[in-house]
Amino acid sequence: MTPGAVLLEARHVTQRFRLPNGQVLEALRDVSLAVREHEVVALVGPSGCGKSTLLRLLAGLARPAEGEVLYRGRPLDGVLAAAAMVFQSFALLPWLTVEENVAMGLEARGVHGAARRDAVARAINLVGLDGFEQAYPKELSGGMKQRVGFARALAVAPEILLMDEPFGALDPLTAENLRSQVVDLWRDPATGVNTLVVVTHSVEEAVFLAGRIVVFGSNPGHVREELVNPLPYPRQERSPEFDDMVDRLHAILTATLLPEPTPAAPQRLIPFPRVHVSEVTGLLDHLLTRPDGKGPVFELAEDLGVDYDRMSAVVRAAEQLGWVITPGEIVQLTPAGRELMAMDDAARKDTTRARLARQPLFGRLLGMLKEEGAVEDEEVLADLTIYFPFIPAHSLFETIVEWGRYAELLDHDADAGRLVLLGWEGAAEPREE
Amino acid sequence: MKPLRVPHALTPPLLRRLGPADLVMLCLVAGAIATVVAFAREFEAPLTPAVQIDLRPAALVRYTLYSLTRGVLALAISYLFALAFGWTAARSRAAERLLLPMLDILQSIPVLGFLPGLVLGLLALFPTRNTGLELAAILMIFTAQAWNLALSFYNSLKSLPEPLRDACRMAGWSAWRTFRQLEVPAAAHGLVWNGMLSMAGGWFFLMVNEAFRLGGRDYRLPGVGAYMSVALDRGDAGAMALAVTAMVVMIVGVDQVLWRPLVVWVEKFRLDETAGSAAGEGQGSWVLELVRRARLVRRAAVLRRRAYRTARLAARPFERPWRAARPGTLVRASRVVFDDPRARRVAGALVIALVVAGAVLGLRGLVLLVARLRGPEWARLFGAAGLTFARVMGAVLVATAWALPAGVAIGRSPRLARALQPVIQVVASFPAPMLFPLVVLLFERLGVGLGLSSVALLVLAGQWYILFNVIAAVAAIPEQLRDAAAVFRLSPLARWRVLYLPAAVPALVTGWVTAAGGAWNGSIVAEYIEVGGRLRMTEGLGSLISDATARANFPLLAGGIALMSLIVVGWNRLVWRRLMEWAQARFGLAA
Repeated sequence: MTPGAVLLEARHVTQRFRLPNGQVLEALRDVSLAVREHEVVALVGPSGCGKSTLLRLLAGLARPAEGEVLYRGRPLDGVLAAAAMVFQSFALLPWLTVEENVAMGLEARGVHGAARRDAVARAINLVGLDGFEQAYPKELSGGMKQRVGFARALAVAPEILLMDEPFGALDPLTAENLRSQVVDLWRDPATGVNTLVVVTHSVEEAVFLAGRIVVFGSNPGHVREELVNPLPYPRQERSPEFDDMVDRLHAILTATLLPEPTPAAPQRLIPFPRVHVSEVTGLLDHLLTRPDGKGPVFELAEDLGVDYDRMSAVVRAAEQLGWVITPGEIVQLTPAGRELMAMDDAARKDTTRARLARQPLFGRLLGMLKEEGAVEDEEVLADLTIYFPFIPAHSLFETIVEWGRYAELLDHDADAGRLVLLGWEGAAEPREE
Repeated sequence: MKPLRVPHALTPPLLRRLGPADLVMLCLVAGAIATVVAFAREFEAPLTPAVQIDLRPAALVRYTLYSLTRGVLALAISYLFALAFGWTAARSRAAERLLLPMLDILQSIPVLGFLPGLVLGLLALFPTRNTGLELAAILMIFTAQAWNLALSFYNSLKSLPEPLRDACRMAGWSAWRTFRQLEVPAAAHGLVWNGMLSMAGGWFFLMVNEAFRLGGRDYRLPGVGAYMSVALDRGDAGAMALAVTAMVVMIVGVDQVLWRPLVVWVEKFRLDETAGSAAGEGQGSWVLELVRRARLVRRAAVLRRRAYRTARLAARPFERPWRAARPGTLVRASRVVFDDPRARRVAGALVIALVVAGAVLGLRGLVLLVARLRGPEWARLFGAAGLTFARVMGAVLVATAWALPAGVAIGRSPRLARALQPVIQVVASFPAPMLFPLVVLLFERLGVGLGLSSVALLVLAGQWYILFNVIAAVAAIPEQLRDAAAVFRLSPLARWRVLYLPAAVPALVTGWVTAAGGAWNGSIVAEYIEVGGRLRMTEGLGSLISDATARANFPLLAGGIALMSLIVVGWNRLVWRRLMEWAQARFGLAA
């Protein structure tokens, strides 16, 4: 099947949200994307890059703050009836049986009586749920629930099937099985589905499913790059061509997630990645076990069992503190990193303290604290919101407190709601190392 | 008698034997119909401001059923209000910003103070029939039931997972269908549990709602509350005991026939799939079993399905064919009025305009009334407020002194909790004001005047909230924390100090808020009591309000209610809320 006419199109869409604390987050900025008939498009990127937001815009579930979404050239004004959606959390109504859940979308599309029963039976048969018609969702396993989710979507014979991390909540075995079935369903003319848009976290999944892979960057969400995947269906995982494609996508994502440092602005404030102390030491520990203390970031993520965007955040934190360097997609332990791992706990804290003090964001905060001894939470949060409008300030604040406490640089007085400086003399001394 | 065992397929449906379950069901339904008919007649009867109460036991059955009907009708209105309120507040941000503070105020002000206005207004509307008086009583019960229901529904809507909403919208469901099949089922659990609390709360002022004096005139409605008040007037101990018994029977009956089955049934509508709540889990309901077993009920369900199918078949020729709707058609948002931001804005503006207009009119009336009060009257109001404030705080202290240890003891022992729960539930649902006169007489025997004994009455009015909250909090302490306390061999004293007390603090504060609210409300009937034809009153804001009601001194009444509302709302905002935030941040177990 070759892609045909443009079916669904987002034109220069921008979307913003207001957080409960009043901060306005821009989830997407000026994103354009055209989805053609007979095409499978995968949207990948780090979490918080707005790919799910774009999916909701395409479905007509939300209106963009700027720009527009067109279906066959006509602007969307409400929920797109030609589309169906599959959710990561399944989104089944627990008080309806499998059959009733599958039938949810039929009435509004004018399907009643025998036609409705037919459509439900066909959809249930397509996903292999025969015999479970009268079951309630809570009686089913995760994989079975998602089959109901697919059956509900297929029952309305949608032109476009939108999927928001459809295999994200499933165990790997079930996910693998369901993934190849989705390809079969798409290739099967009986389902009437001719176009798929899938949001995913997994590089392999994107390469397995999609003919076109759109890579998103974050802060705010934007399209970084598009990759055409010409591999013929059905695709063989672990084949050289498949692995080649996976590697290419890895390289693009690495460039997105671990940008080469720009030497032009060394004093520019950069946010500290929101990761825990133990995650960074865990990464260094793992690197020590590898030959030459290095490895590609995606392999590390797989070995340690974390998402690649979480992994890259941990890597960025370690990089900011000078414990690893990242030539290309390789993460390499530095001599300083090796030294750190050889130290005892107290020495590690001393080193971390010195390095954090040189990190621009911590440096600025410490400057404020040195002047005043203590700073109100509110003031710090307001500053963070101004410096980094795309990052939820509270969560960044928590990270700062955790690292500051670990390094015994500062403490947080939760009762009084302020940050206080801890023995600055101690912090100043390793500075002169 | 055992029904004959014949395969179902062989017996024509109508000839199948009716079992004993059907008999019980029929009796229940017939009783309900008879009660409603009798009540409707009372409702429509020519106006009798003060009905003659018949103290014979036989009449008491009828009175109790009347009271019950009022409570159930009020509950029905409360549910309608809660659904409308919660839906509006959850849909429109502007409405939310206006309605939530309003609810907060409404649920903390002394509603009893509105009785005179309500009665006079409705009497003017229905000058010849009982309707006005009855409506006033029902609305008064409503004001004690509605607020927590509305809040519960609103919270359920707000915490509905977004994917579920999205799924319904992708399915093209109308707002009405989403309301019926998503929003109400998702909220059902909270609505039933809060309905149970509301029902209990609604009985609190039963006696005052059914028998009160306004501007020197007596008003009395046939009901168990009026029966009790007449029994008290005449000092008829036998009739008093009968009224208390009738009340207990009614509470237990409603619990068994209405709430137990609902609580069991509503487990089906839980959104989270974790094990059922401690209270709803593993509990059966004999009434629900009965309904499920009754053939008539099943038969009715079959008939309903058949009728539906027939209607569908008849409508078949007019249905649109299946594929036609597919390519290129959009489910237009404009079909669903509230999906259109413009319509929502208009509707929101309308609601706000109405509410604001109402508030302005009400405020203007209040100011005009209160402006008539002069200096000495204000001085008296503030002095009385100080006295009642001291009593309320004293009552909270006394209630805490016994309810905290008792709550911890019950909460930490599942066995004790299981055994005591039904008893406590009935005792807590019993309207404390019915016992006030008896308590006052008892204290008089001991030589204690109303000034002090009214504190005991306020304890009666508020203590259960503290007890319930503490029990729930202690029962919710994670097993592992208790295990840790055991492993590290904490002494009983240390366990209290580091585990049970801190874990109970947030719940204790929540209990205080509600208990103090209940005590303020209770002061209206606790500081002004008539027993055996003799009036006893002690200086205080509550007695001031009651006295102003009896003398139809409306400026003083308005001033008293406004002052009490101000104190309660202000104290909530300035003290309780901060205390709650602090307790939650410091001692909350949820990380």
